Amino acid sequence: MTFSYLDPEIYKKYRDAVIELSNSIQVDINEHLPPGQRRRGLSDREIAERLQLDEATVTEIRAIAERDYYDLAEWDRAIEFKRKACREYVENRIGLKRKKP
Amino acid sequence: MSAPAAVSFESLKDQLIEYSRRSGALVVGVADADAFGDAPEGFRPGDLLPQARSVVVLGGAPPRAGDWISPVVELQETMGTSDRINTLGRKVAHFIEDRLGYYALFVPPGVNRGERPFLSLMLAAELAGCGSRSLAGPILHPTYGMLYFTAIITTAALPVDGPCAESACPAPACRDMWQSEGTVPCVKTCPIDDGGCLGGEIADGRFAAPRYDRARCTTRVYNHWIPGFQKGLELALATDDKEKRKMILYGSAFTRTLWSITYSASNQAQCFECMRVCPVGLEYRTKK
Repeated sequence: MTFSYLDPEIYKKYRDAVIELSNSIQVDINEHLPPGQRRRGLSDREIAERLQLDEATVTEIRAIAERDYYDLAEWDRAIEFKRKACREYVENRIGLKRKKP
Repeated sequence: MSAPAAVSFESLKDQLIEYSRRSGALVVGVADADAFGDAPEGFRPGDLLPQARSVVVLGGAPPRAGDWISPVVELQETMGTSDRINTLGRKVAHFIEDRLGYYALFVPPGVNRGERPFLSLMLAAELAGCGSRSLAGPILHPTYGMLYFTAIITTAALPVDGPCAESACPAPACRDMWQSEGTVPCVKTCPIDDGGCLGGEIADGRFAAPRYDRARCTTRVYNHWIPGFQKGLELALATDDKEKRKMILYGSAFTRTLWSITYSASNQAQCFECMRVCPVGLEYRTKK
């Protein structure tokens, strides 16, 4: 592995296709089916064969796209989501009340 | 002098289970090394250890009951417990090699190339009967709920446990909630159609049509970790104004992210909200 990097134009061209074919966004994977009968995301090698790319390029596109998918604002929303969800759970389950300001 | 009596694999497995439990494992199971067809090629037991015959899976080290009910989310976010199960995995790998005499490969908890795990611990835990898949994603043990897992691939052909016959998800309480509200606790907390990660339904008493937004889940689970660091650094590098860059790099979000990274393996999982509301294992994590 080196710090040579992917051509941004290649990335832009194939990003959506790679994300869709991989396990990144999982839709209707029938989890209750026995192993071996589930629909799974394709491996990088399988995606490469389908898109006629080499496997290393697909791996790089997928790794970058998974990070690129949401912008930084989603990271900020994550903090608020967790604080709110945690606080609500404790309030509902344990009866902890917020202190009045 | 007569040759020593052959030791059966059943006996070796019994020794292994006793040692693992004594060392702190809550659950122990064995999967067939050839049963990992759902994993991508290159990420199956035989790809990591030639002549792999079985995969020993240990589960345990869950957050404590007190952690689950703390209203300070940053506490659990900071104090992960997965490192404890990794220590146990290494210990059991030594036991298999030194005491049982077979090759044993402790599966590292980090990621291989392309951000893929060396071996899916979820798949291993499922195939070893240490729990079953859930609508929210994690493998759930019927008694303990969410556990951390470690796996050891070995050339010993230990008797296989195989997947659980019954799924812990959906719990009876979730089936009831689906009837009355048309949703379940994990999906209600983190709904994919309203800015969250999870979707799905209950059909014929089982979860169905699950949807999972892994990219969004990453923003929550790795909020202040390498993915968050990359996003913050990208913003800083793209900012021409020196003073603005200082605000980013010295600011609380970037600083907390750097602290988290220094905690390494003990600080990776940073979102527990779908599991916090999960009824599976609730009795185990309910105290006075």
